[in-house]
Amino acid sequence: MNAPPPGSPSSLPLNPPSRPWYERLNVINVTLLIFLLAVVFSGASIQGSDRDLNVWQNLTNFLREFLPPDFSVLPRTIEALIETIEIAVLSTFCSIIISLLIGLGAAQTLAPPWLVVTMRMLLNLIRTIPSLIWAVIAVVALGATAHAGVAALTLYSVGYLGKFFSEAFESVDINVARSLRGIGADPLQAFQFGIWPHAKPLIWSHSIWMLEYNIRSASIIGYVGAGGLGLQLHAYQEFQQWDRFATVLLCILSVVTLLDFLGEWIRRRIANHNRNAPVSIAE
Amino acid sequence: MEVRGLGFRRGDRWLFRNLDFDLQIGDFVALVGPSGVGKTTLLSCLCGLAEPSEGTVRIQLPAEPGARPPAELRRHFGIVFQSLQLIQKASLLTNVLCGRLGALNGLRTLVGFPSHHRREAYALLHDLGVAADPEKWVCEMSGGEQQRVAIARALFQKPVIYFADEPVSSLDSYYAGRVLGRLQLEASLGNKAVFCVLHNSSHIERFANLALSLDPQDPTACRVRRLSARTEISPRP
Repeated sequence: MNAPPPGSPSSLPLNPPSRPWYERLNVINVTLLIFLLAVVFSGASIQGSDRDLNVWQNLTNFLREFLPPDFSVLPRTIEALIETIEIAVLSTFCSIIISLLIGLGAAQTLAPPWLVVTMRMLLNLIRTIPSLIWAVIAVVALGATAHAGVAALTLYSVGYLGKFFSEAFESVDINVARSLRGIGADPLQAFQFGIWPHAKPLIWSHSIWMLEYNIRSASIIGYVGAGGLGLQLHAYQEFQQWDRFATVLLCILSVVTLLDFLGEWIRRRIANHNRNAPVSIAE
Repeated sequence: MEVRGLGFRRGDRWLFRNLDFDLQIGDFVALVGPSGVGKTTLLSCLCGLAEPSEGTVRIQLPAEPGARPPAELRRHFGIVFQSLQLIQKASLLTNVLCGRLGALNGLRTLVGFPSHHRREAYALLHDLGVAADPEKWVCEMSGGEQQRVAIARALFQKPVIYFADEPVSSLDSYYAGRVLGRLQLEASLGNKAVFCVLHNSSHIERFANLALSLDPQDPTACRVRRLSARTEISPRP
């Protein structure tokens, strides 16, 4: 009888060849292992107060102060809420304009290496400083007004949007822009038609996320005098008026939730490229 | 187009070597050979997108003095890339209009294209059977429709020389004949030249007047042969 040809079922070994253990050490598995080790060491080294506290009782007593919310401050809260939204909208707009320019300079596929390094260093520097510290700097420079809030959040947002925008530009296939240059387009035209249409959905998606984030941040920066709801929150906290504090929190929660749903819906539509599909909430 | 001693080397392998030929206005050259032989590379060398390892390509355009290397004349070349290189997230009409970018100022196109350009581009889409929804994004179209948009972009550019890399690979026989017929018409009546990578022998015989074949065994055996069976088109009265 003839031997079965190679590759036929009867010539296959019973078990598939197994890989040695060290071949499983890819980037994902190694970083996951390092992270788990870091969790174990961090848990062991962080110490509590060692005092005998009734945590649950303390928390319940504190939360009881919040209820029921005092809605008599609602008109004043809504006024401050509108100022908070105005600060967030204006600072997001300013940061989008600045970030587009910085993002172009920080994109490896579009800018020369020296400019990329300079812009990335600048973005890292901006991101190092938290929003509250930017607010303190802005209040020192511009006084305790809403203008300071706009300046602080603009600078803070540029640190993130600049990075996101540069990544959006880098994710675009540069060959389309090159082919347009090949048929005679100038650099501006190659960008307008070869890069911008592909980067635009990502850039808009990041901008909406930043607006959501800035509304949350604009509620906090008032703590140091940069306008908006934070000023009210700070006052109620100082005088321990937690029922009024709760009213402000409820207002922030409702706006943030609304914006979260709206942002999610817009981002999903952008991701699905359903530009021509009729606008439908049910999607 | 005057090609002298053209050669391209990838690693230690020559794709083609000692290639000499002349191309005249009105010629339709079919570039033939098996896959991987170097047809796309040769096309890139001829239109200035790739630097040859040896030899020269000089092109003299009508009404322009002196022969120049192709890299300086790309604005006058209509290129249909094998991978199409269309703007996926832009409309069919915008993609076709982009063919004329070289003729318009960047500040002008920042606010849109002239309306007569839009009408002309729409007529081309209609001619190639993809005008049903010109505002649709390219990424929403089929491969064959995208290929026709790429051809419309090259036609809209009104170039002197067409370089088309397998322009009918995704088209049915009706549209393949229509596209190649249009390119043949451009060559015969429009004072243009066409360089086209083709695989289908009936298309080669029907539309091309010259065939440049590359040989995978011998890179120096590239030769141009004149085809006699081409349907001659008489100029319009």
